[in-house]
Amino acid sequence: MTASQLALRDISKSFGTVQALYPLDLSVPEGEMLALLGPSGCGKTTTLRIVAGFEMPDTGSVTIAGRNVTALPPNKRALGMVFQNYSLFPHMTVGENVAFGLKMRGIGAAERTSRVRTMLDMVRLSGLEDRGIHQLSGGQQQRIALARALAPGPRLLLLDEPLGALDKNLREGMQFELRQIQRELGITSILVTHDQEEALTMADRVAVMSQGAVVQLGTPTEVYDTPNTRFVAEFLGTANIFTAQVRGRDGDGWEVALDGNASCVVTAAIPLATGQRILLAVRPERLRIGPPGSGALDARVHDVVFRGATFAYELRAPDRPAPLFVYTHERATAAAGDTVGLRWEPGSAVVLQEPT
Amino acid sequence: MTAAPRKYRLAPRSWTIPALVFVAVFFVMPLVGNLVRTNNTGEAVGQGPWFYYVKLLTDSYYSGVLLTTLEVSTIATLASLLVGYPVAYFMARYAGRWTGFFVFVVIAPLLTSIIMRTFGWRVLLARHGVLNSIFMHLGWMTRPPNLADDPIAVYIGLVHVLVPFMVLSILAVLQGVDRRLEESARVLGAGRVRTFLSVTLPLSLDGVITGCILVFVITNGSFLTMLLLGGGRITTMSLLIYQQFNTSGDIGFAAAMGNVLMLLALVGLGLQMLLHRRARP
Amino acid sequence: MIRHRKRIDRTAVALGCYMALFVVFIVAPIVSVVIVSFSSASFIIFPIPGYGLAWYRRIIEYRPFIDAMIVSAELALASAALAALLGVPAALAVARSRSVGAAVIANVLLAPVSVPAIVLGFSLLYFLSSLALGISFTALLIAHTVASIPYIVRTVLATYRAVPAQFEEAASILGASRFQVLWHTTLPLVRPGIFAGALFAVLTSLDNLPLSFFFGGARTNTLPVVMLSYMENQFDPSIAAVSTVQMLVAIIALLALDRLYGIERLTAA
Repeated sequence: MTASQLALRDISKSFGTVQALYPLDLSVPEGEMLALLGPSGCGKTTTLRIVAGFEMPDTGSVTIAGRNVTALPPNKRALGMVFQNYSLFPHMTVGENVAFGLKMRGIGAAERTSRVRTMLDMVRLSGLEDRGIHQLSGGQQQRIALARALAPGPRLLLLDEPLGALDKNLREGMQFELRQIQRELGITSILVTHDQEEALTMADRVAVMSQGAVVQLGTPTEVYDTPNTRFVAEFLGTANIFTAQVRGRDGDGWEVALDGNASCVVTAAIPLATGQRILLAVRPERLRIGPPGSGALDARVHDVVFRGATFAYELRAPDRPAPLFVYTHERATAAAGDTVGLRWEPGSAVVLQEPT
Repeated sequence: MTAAPRKYRLAPRSWTIPALVFVAVFFVMPLVGNLVRTNNTGEAVGQGPWFYYVKLLTDSYYSGVLLTTLEVSTIATLASLLVGYPVAYFMARYAGRWTGFFVFVVIAPLLTSIIMRTFGWRVLLARHGVLNSIFMHLGWMTRPPNLADDPIAVYIGLVHVLVPFMVLSILAVLQGVDRRLEESARVLGAGRVRTFLSVTLPLSLDGVITGCILVFVITNGSFLTMLLLGGGRITTMSLLIYQQFNTSGDIGFAAAMGNVLMLLALVGLGLQMLLHRRARP
Repeated sequence: MIRHRKRIDRTAVALGCYMALFVVFIVAPIVSVVIVSFSSASFIIFPIPGYGLAWYRRIIEYRPFIDAMIVSAELALASAALAALLGVPAALAVARSRSVGAAVIANVLLAPVSVPAIVLGFSLLYFLSSLALGISFTALLIAHTVASIPYIVRTVLATYRAVPAQFEEAASILGASRFQVLWHTTLPLVRPGIFAGALFAVLTSLDNLPLSFFFGGARTNTLPVVMLSYMENQFDPSIAAVSTVQMLVAIIALLALDRLYGIERLTAA
């Protein structure tokens, strides 16, 4: 088993009467990029700041590369951090910014110069040593911030919503680039973000957080395809949620009756009992539109929106207050006002593990 | 598991200690000493702690000085407000690129000593001064008055010194008043004056109040203007203390006067803090 | 094609005229003094009968003027420096704290500016005399430093609060110790506040009469004190000359500062 580069044991934190973090355990193996994903207030930033050393946990320990750093101040932890607004020192040049960590370690001028050059080459901004920070574009500043964080060769890289300030196109390009650099260097990284797409694109594992606790921890595929709870299902993308009751076994799966009388077969990761009430989640891209009566339930098309790559259908069904969504690549097969049938593969519906 | 260590903080509280000690020793203690001094020196010996204060309030001359102090401060404050508000308004709304220039003009007097400015008003207003020579030249008068020794000169001199503070206080707040609020009022049919009275003025009130308190407190403490202008006809508390110290050497009395002045200053400070808290919910 | 006559904004014109008068009002006494300083008359009269540099020569002849100028300059710089040494760390320590204690400390440090200078000078004279410091440059320095601390604290508080904490956090993560963060990050970013406060402190100290008056002695007379006593005895244009020189020195110093460092950059937040 790979030794974990970062281990958080029993970390909790409260600010006054607000419990920001409930006791938390987290292990990050060497070379992995872990994303802490969740809405604001979920505790992801607090966790990052505890790892960095800016906040002290009420309980628990932080271990980096086998060393307990809980009592160490931030400057002794050998970390790299990219801040949300980059925080590049405005009174220093690009070169001085990137060299800062090296200077603090007492590394000589000559070696600093060559390391700065290497780092700038790595982020593809060679030759900009003497530029002022304000002369750089947002994307360039981001890369300099990365170069600065990585220059001293830290053991762990912390990223606090690093791409938040960039516009969409730039963001996607940077996501891939960041990922590439991280993989090349093999540096263990923690990424804090509220953008699920970013987490899914960049991370090896995603820890979905809500209200001070990790709700689900898994690979991007796991958290997207098999969310634990309704919160995870809805946070990681659109999800159609159904309430249902278990009828009985059907081969390897279970037959369940959706409220509204339609029934279908599902597979479940956990054992179910007949008569149990459950929640199902189905992703919009897994639903298929067919003639009425051909699927698990019928619904009326409320609206069709052309999204470029996909068509998005919004449908209404009787007994359902919330609309249903279907995303499909196929050309429009139904129009607003039509009644259609919706079906899905047995494995596409996920049984959510709601807390009892 | 392990307990939490102390929070990381760049500048620890201990860094305030040198400054606090310095201020406690060389500011608080001398002022406290001043309070004590009124009890046991000069005429007050054996007369009880309130002797000097009673004298200040009952003797017609001294209570007159106290009233004069308040009167001068109030009038000077109002005059500075009337002179200064239009300046601030102009700078906030019409100056545009020239704002920096006007700020410099307003601040420039502070680069010169107050003695120079007060002396300058003497030169301007004296019998053989600038203003009179201009008026004589224009044939507007034959016998020039000596304005420099007239009480009006004191107010002119005071306003000249105070207006920069008033303008800057109001300007800071006026610049924050959204021009679009005024424009909305105009579009809704309000005339210029109406817009000013119902939109601009109320929103700039914070700056007006700050400026007035600042100017009031400064005037309370000034004495040079009263010394060099007005022919000695206006005597305020500060000037009295100065004279007292120069002539009679009755320390206790001077200390008592100082304490009354301090009280006025504290009232001004208290008002300011009160209004600040009201402004920030 | 319709030609539109430009609508004259009467308010703007009225205010413009008012501003012109205002500028004259502000500048008039200063200009008058400068003109009188070149007068060849031996008393103050206007229009001046002739031009001459007699009164400027007087500055050099009358020893106390030059001595006082030197004392004032030394005092202003020394008190500003001492006030900065005391006030900057204190301001940094309380700027970001929301506690009641921090607010109290800040208010205590800002308090001296609200006390009438004459009361402070008077109180300090007796207090320092009881400490055997009496009338000395040290006593004067202490008095001016107390008066200058609020200016420094006020501007540093404002500036530091406007600096995001993340700059210091970034420096810290990169390995900087507390002092390194202070030296490489905090101080450079707060420098405009320190300079603005110091500038205020120097200007106020140079012009401070009520405080300096009580400590007047052969070696401790500041320029305002000397000028005042001169005026009370001999009312002649040499005062005008001294004032003009003082003003020129202040202007030249500011210009030099601007040329060397750029005032905008120094004092802009």
